[in-house]
Amino acid sequence: MPLDKTFELVELKNISKQFPGVLALNNVSMDFRKGEVHVLLGENGAGKSTLVKIIAGVYTKDKGEMLLEGSPVDFKRIRDAQEAGIAIIHQELNLLPERSIAQNIFVGKEPEKKGLPGIIDKKKMISDSAELLQRLGVDLNPNTQVKKLSIAQQQMVEVVKALSRNIKLLIMDEPTSSLTKKEIDKLFEIIRKLKSDGIGIIYISHRMDEIQRIGDRVSIMRDGEYIDTVDAKTMNMDEVITKMVGRKIEQLYSRRYNAPGKLVLQTNGLCGLRFRNVSISVHAGEVVALSGLIGAGRSELAKALFGYDPIEAGSYTLFGEKVTRATPKESTRRGMAFLPEDRKAEGLILQMPIKNNIVSASLKKVFPNFLLNNAKETRIGEHYRREMRIATPNVDKIVQELSGGNQQKVVISKWLASESKFIIFDEPTRGIDIGAKAEIYQLIDRLAGEGSAILMISSELGEVVGISDRVYVMREGEVVAELKRDKLSQEELVSWAVRGAAKND
Amino acid sequence: MIKLFSPKKRLPVPGIVWGIIFLIIFFSIIRPAKFPTLYNALLILRHSSVLIVASIGMTMLILVSQIDLSVGSVMSLAGVITAVCAESGMPLGVSLALSILVGMLIGVVNGTMVAVFRFDYWISTFATMGIAAGLALVVANGQTITVRSDFFNWLGNGKVLGIDFLILLVAVLVAGMLFVLGKTRFGYNIYSIGGSAETARLSGIDVTKNRMFVFIGSGFFSAVAGLMLAAMGSSASPIAGADYSFDAIAAVIIGGTSFDGGKGGLAGTVLGAVLLRILTLGLNLMGIPPTWQKAIIGVVIVAIIVNDVLGERRRKTNESRRVYSNV
Repeated sequence: MPLDKTFELVELKNISKQFPGVLALNNVSMDFRKGEVHVLLGENGAGKSTLVKIIAGVYTKDKGEMLLEGSPVDFKRIRDAQEAGIAIIHQELNLLPERSIAQNIFVGKEPEKKGLPGIIDKKKMISDSAELLQRLGVDLNPNTQVKKLSIAQQQMVEVVKALSRNIKLLIMDEPTSSLTKKEIDKLFEIIRKLKSDGIGIIYISHRMDEIQRIGDRVSIMRDGEYIDTVDAKTMNMDEVITKMVGRKIEQLYSRRYNAPGKLVLQTNGLCGLRFRNVSISVHAGEVVALSGLIGAGRSELAKALFGYDPIEAGSYTLFGEKVTRATPKESTRRGMAFLPEDRKAEGLILQMPIKNNIVSASLKKVFPNFLLNNAKETRIGEHYRREMRIATPNVDKIVQELSGGNQQKVVISKWLASESKFIIFDEPTRGIDIGAKAEIYQLIDRLAGEGSAILMISSELGEVVGISDRVYVMREGEVVAELKRDKLSQEELVSWAVRGAAKND
Repeated sequence: MIKLFSPKKRLPVPGIVWGIIFLIIFFSIIRPAKFPTLYNALLILRHSSVLIVASIGMTMLILVSQIDLSVGSVMSLAGVITAVCAESGMPLGVSLALSILVGMLIGVVNGTMVAVFRFDYWISTFATMGIAAGLALVVANGQTITVRSDFFNWLGNGKVLGIDFLILLVAVLVAGMLFVLGKTRFGYNIYSIGGSAETARLSGIDVTKNRMFVFIGSGFFSAVAGLMLAAMGSSASPIAGADYSFDAIAAVIIGGTSFDGGKGGLAGTVLGAVLLRILTLGLNLMGIPPTWQKAIIGVVIVAIIVNDVLGERRRKTNESRRVYSNV
């Protein structure tokens, strides 16, 4: 549609951003207007957060041009963007818990006493904070320590903090993820007020109901690329979802489905730090996926099963043994393996050779009588090097020097060597290139074929649909759906993960 | 609607004040004839004064989750530089200035390694600790140097209106730094960086620059503390400051500044230093040898750290519960 230039706020032209191993943004062009709520939609990893961080000066762009009210800008520092009138509320809370609300609102931009540079005018800071809080209808004392607030109240402080300078553009990255319905209403009221003042808003959210309530235009991103922009009020939700996930399922996935065997894992009303009342089952030879948005409680569930995090209520049965309190040591003995999402920090000892890592979950084998059986260690290492096709001349190489895909193969080898029969994969292919991904899928398929039970947490809808027998969808700590293979589609998964809210409320 | 959290009006007495009161009563009962004297009170204040100054920089550093192990060596180095220079005929003022400059220079080296190049602060300041300690031995040729300057002696032992000059100096330095930490942008930035370096960065605060200043400050205050120590005895030993890194860290931690960063402050450190010196004097009067005293101070620190860490864990667990219950 033709656009009156006076409404133009930010224009992006051919923005690209490369991170090590990932092209996070590829030639993205978009425009944002004054007084509009512009929603960014896309899967995890689509590039939304990277894009808004470039606009806000948190990252610098590699290529492309950004115009602010028609004139080109190039932010080298966060402060540059702040001074140009751009504020961002990040996905995670960025507050100082030990400091007061007023100190948090004005962090890095405290008012100074007249004629005394460098000396903070605390009175003015507090009265200004009180005024801001009042104007936004937030009933809080600016002297209160932030750590004493609820998460929702802290979120409101973040909003007030963003509005404490004269801003032209406000970016909100999933601002409602920890707010209650009432608080969301409050936030939307504030957003409407800002709109009427001509402030532009970029709004990242997965909640479809919110988008139609508050959004004006919706832009869809996928795999670091700009896909399309639609009108929020008239958009067709199914079409939008297709655009979000719509990539072809390539020959990436190979899976020979077998009839499931014996019951391996059964949880009964399991509750933990960020999940509750979870009852799921996994059978031998089955690949069961946990799908949902980041923060839905999937990793927390897996960690509680393995014994990293406490189980608060309920129990589970593994290979017929009832478990109410798990520890990693006991879980390993029971035949459970856990391949964490952050394999570098939690799955590997990076500075040690491949062979040491491979035997690290089955040390009894190489320490038959308190002394290391060096030959056996090397033999086991070599076995898995060939078996898993780890690209390395020998197993004495330090794990740190391997690529992400090969590192993941070492982690898998480690658990294969321990002869685990129930394996939890947390984001098995994150940060792995496409060729190695296919190999990981083949491995998972082989493991299932050999009778292992597999529980996979994945935010990549393609792989969930591509290799799972069954899928549990989690949202806000609860399992909201169980989908069998014949019912699986990316659209179905997304709508359960995001839309459940609209259906249930 | 969001509810107002009403803070309690009652002013709490910090635990450390009870600790000091307890120690005074304890030693007064154990050694009623020797401990509770005016002479001892002044002695404690004089000895606290050096430690307080040495701990000012450390307080700022621990507030931003860093540590400077070179404090003690810099103190020794500053003392011997002034002594050697003054004895070779250089004007005393110039010698003092030179010592302080060298202290700040070591701060620059520490800051460059830790703040700019992001080296580990343990290793970096461990290295400068060694360098400064070695230099002190070289400069002093391994010997204690007597300073025959009346003015230098006065700096350490003179009185103004009946009050020790050293105590007045410390009062001025502490008051000044309390102002800096509590009222200026630099102080606010230190607390922000300590609370969360990432939040500070995202709020547009130059974390590197501020950390650099804190390390330079630590070098400055270490040098001043070293000069105070030398002036008190009118002589400089190349190992005079040896115990001060340990004592300064102890004073800061006992004073309630936490390694989590952004929590605590200078007032606590001052009390922490006083408490440590009361403990030292009291244990001396009880005839407990200095080697044991160090172990006892260590136990006090362990108790405080355990309390600190357990409290923090409880807070974290409660916080994630709160997030969960809000869903």
